[in-house]
Amino acid sequence: MLRRYFPSLGVILAIVAILLCLPHFYSNQSFLFNMMLYLALAEGLNIIYGFTGYLPFGYVGFFGAGAYGAAIAITLLHISPFFGVIIGGIAAVLIGIILIPLLRLSGAYFAIANLAASQALYFVVANPSLEKITQGPYGIDLSSVYNADASYYTMLGVLVFAMLLVAYMRNSNFGLSLLAIKEDQVTASLAGVNVVKARSIAWMLSAFVAGLSGAAFGWYTAVFYPSTVFSLDVSVFTIVFVLFGGIGTVAGPLVGTLILYSMYNFIGISTPQYFQLFYGLLIIVLVLFLPDGVASILQKGKVYVP
Amino acid sequence: MCPNGKHLLKVEGLVKKFGGFRALNGVNIDVREGQIVGLAGPNGSGKTTLINVISGVYRPDGGSVEFDGRSVYKLPSHKIVRMGINRTFQVPKPLAGLTVWENVKLGAVYGSREGNRRETVRQALEIVQLHNMKDSVSADLTFAQQKLLGLATALATKPKMLLVDEIAAGLSHQELLWIAEMLLRIQKTGVAMIVVEHHLGFIDTLTSDVVVMNAGANLFRGSIQEAAQNDEVVEVFLGR
Repeated sequence: MLRRYFPSLGVILAIVAILLCLPHFYSNQSFLFNMMLYLALAEGLNIIYGFTGYLPFGYVGFFGAGAYGAAIAITLLHISPFFGVIIGGIAAVLIGIILIPLLRLSGAYFAIANLAASQALYFVVANPSLEKITQGPYGIDLSSVYNADASYYTMLGVLVFAMLLVAYMRNSNFGLSLLAIKEDQVTASLAGVNVVKARSIAWMLSAFVAGLSGAAFGWYTAVFYPSTVFSLDVSVFTIVFVLFGGIGTVAGPLVGTLILYSMYNFIGISTPQYFQLFYGLLIIVLVLFLPDGVASILQKGKVYVP
Repeated sequence: MCPNGKHLLKVEGLVKKFGGFRALNGVNIDVREGQIVGLAGPNGSGKTTLINVISGVYRPDGGSVEFDGRSVYKLPSHKIVRMGINRTFQVPKPLAGLTVWENVKLGAVYGSREGNRRETVRQALEIVQLHNMKDSVSADLTFAQQKLLGLATALATKPKMLLVDEIAAGLSHQELLWIAEMLLRIQKTGVAMIVVEHHLGFIDTLTSDVVVMNAGANLFRGSIQEAAQNDEVVEVFLGR
């Protein structure tokens, strides 16, 4: 039974080995951190989109909730940053619980409602009258607990957690029940699947991963603003990475993020105008010719993608 | 037929409205353990709506539905399935991206929650003779095979009662005979059924107990032969 997990675990071990070794040979830790961040977010989004078909354009809301949840716990409650990261994840889950009724919507309606919810959260956090708690629009300073290495390895831990979750879903009956919900909720329900419960669990797990990622990001950057951690770019990048790589597998989102985020750093930062053009063209090509991502090329050839 | 068994399903005064239209207007039906009841009626008489309400796909607006001594009124589908009622669809709704095995496995894992699941799936696929296609993606199956897949998934939940919705539609005479034989074999394992069907000859091969519906209400209950002598039944079928 455990044998079916081996391909996924092989991929996870390879990624972990690379990310443990790379800092010894490659000095740009910030690039590696952000790469891990988007790898984790891509896997987190994969949980809800890849397995249930709900595409949350406001996914960044969980990321921001995690960053602020952790920051508030660290600054006001004086909790250690590591536990602060966990509280960040829990804060995102709480937001996820509040937003569970959105799962009654589908398609574009769900995406838009979710986007609106993330922006509402942004305006609440950035509200100057909440300055005593969130520092309002003036940003949060965590420089007193700044620790680049500890936050780097915490982010790696979050990534491993996210990949293991997807590996579990890829190979378990729970994952199969989510795929059934994605295909047809009535048929899934008549097979005995509790649709509301299963999709809510997937939603909260997805929120948890984004919250943990946001919290680790806040710790690593030390100083951030609402506009940083609620930036829609986070949602858009993550969605494009996942779509490019392919959904419903462990490897698909990893491949998408590794290729596109590397490209973003090598082309996008030096010549952003070409990058925007390239990204726009890529999205068009993806939608027209490769709607199921790069991984689907292998899957169509009957190759198993972990 | 098992006319002396205890009541398994008891539907009384069931109402289902769509806006101002009463698709079910006080339907009564009861089925005993191991019994097959045929459900006939013209298009729009409410047969499929009744199946949808009993199976939890639609929420009823009035009346009562009792199964095995417990109310299933307004329960969600997955709870009704776990209590022992399952159904098939007139237009099959397989989980198209999943394999035949995965479709049926879901029923065994989430619907029955007992016994050896692998064995349950294997048996269900053997009953409908789809075992040799277990690795096929269900979208690649023919229409008839998709109907059988729906039946196998329902069987994997180990139901006490099956609601079979027009399984014979679009099938050849040979296929009809085979399906009738299969349903009778399933009945012998103790499964009660309501078989919705336009094809009265098909119902006749399964049971002598037929309920005829018209305009969302009961019109007649008895044998096919008695139904053929009943003026009201003849009128709704032939429009005399």
